[in-house]
Amino acid sequence: MPDAPAGIDPRGPRFGAAITSLLLLVVILLGLTGLSTATSTAAFGWFAYQPLSSHAFFPTAFVIAAAPVGARILDPAFLLLLVIALLFLWGVLSPRTAPWGVLYRKAVQPRLKPPTELEDPRPPRFAQGVGLLVSVVGLLLQLAGVPWGLPIAAVAAFVAAFLNAVFGFCLGCQMYLLLARWGLVGRRAAA
Amino acid sequence: MPPWIAVLIVVVLVAMTAITGWALRRRESHPRRTKTTDLEWLAADVRGPNATLVQFSTQMCARCPHVRRMLGELAEVTDGVTLAEVDLTHQSELAKRLHILQTPTVFVVDATGAVRSRFAGVPRRDAITAELDRVIGEPTHA
Repeated sequence: MPDAPAGIDPRGPRFGAAITSLLLLVVILLGLTGLSTATSTAAFGWFAYQPLSSHAFFPTAFVIAAAPVGARILDPAFLLLLVIALLFLWGVLSPRTAPWGVLYRKAVQPRLKPPTELEDPRPPRFAQGVGLLVSVVGLLLQLAGVPWGLPIAAVAAFVAAFLNAVFGFCLGCQMYLLLARWGLVGRRAAA
Repeated sequence: MPPWIAVLIVVVLVAMTAITGWALRRRESHPRRTKTTDLEWLAADVRGPNATLVQFSTQMCARCPHVRRMLGELAEVTDGVTLAEVDLTHQSELAKRLHILQTPTVFVVDATGAVRSRFAGVPRRDAITAELDRVIGEPTHA
C-alpha cells in the first residue's frame, strides 16, 4: 500500500476500547434502571403496585412511550450515550487528537515497552465509525420513544468494544469486507 | 427494573461476551479442510514448490500485518514454501467466489495447487506449522 499512512501503536485503540466498554456498561445499567425500560400499570399509576395481584389484570405500559421528548433526552443513559457517540465522532474526524488516544500516548505508552509492530490507523478509525452508527441508532430509538432501544444498541456496541479490548477482535474491521462484498464500500478505484 | 436485576444482566452480559471471545479465538486456530482446485486467481509464479501460504487482507484489516509477519517468517524457515498476499479491498468478486467472510483469511495450498485448508482469523503459529506438515507430507520446517 504505497499511500498507507504512518503506523500507530496497536495497543492504543484497544486501550480506548477498554474505556469505551466500561462507559457502555454504565449506559446499560442506567438504561436498564432508567426511563428506557421503565414500565407502569397503565390504568392505576405507580401506586397501584400490589405484590399479590397478578400482573395479567393490570396491563403494563412503557413509561418512555408517553414521556415528553425532553424527558427522553434528560434520561442519564441517553446523556452518557450521547457523550460516547460524540467521542466516537471525534475518533472518526480526528483520531490523533481523540481523548483516549491522547491519554494513552501521554500516560500509558511511556510505561510500556515500545510496540513490536505498528498498525494501519484506518481500520480502528473505520471501527469508530461503526461504533458511532450503533450509538446514534440507540439515541434515535430513545428519541422516538422505543422501549429497550437504547440499552440494546448499547449492548451491541459493548460487545464490539469488549471483544476489541480483551481479545483484539475488531468487528468493525471485519465488517468492512462484508460491506465491500455487498458493494457498499471500496468500490472506488484504488488510489 | 430493580437495580440488582440490572446488575445481574450486566454480569451475565460480560460473562457471555468473554466466553464468545474465547470461543472465537479458539476457532481461529482450527482450519477448515478443503480440496478446492479453482486456482486461476493464484498466479503460478508465486506458488512454492512444496506449498504456498496465501493470506487475504484488506486495507481495513487491523490484524493482517501481524499475521503477514508471522507467515513470512514461517515461509522463510520452511523449505519450498512461499507466502502470497491478496488484497481484497477492491476485489469483492474474488472474495465472493472464494467465500471469504473476514480478513485475515489464510489458505494452505499444496504443491499441486489445491487449497487444502483455510484459516479464518488469526491462526496460531503452531496450527499453521501442523497444516504445512500435513500438506507437505513430511516435517521440513526448522
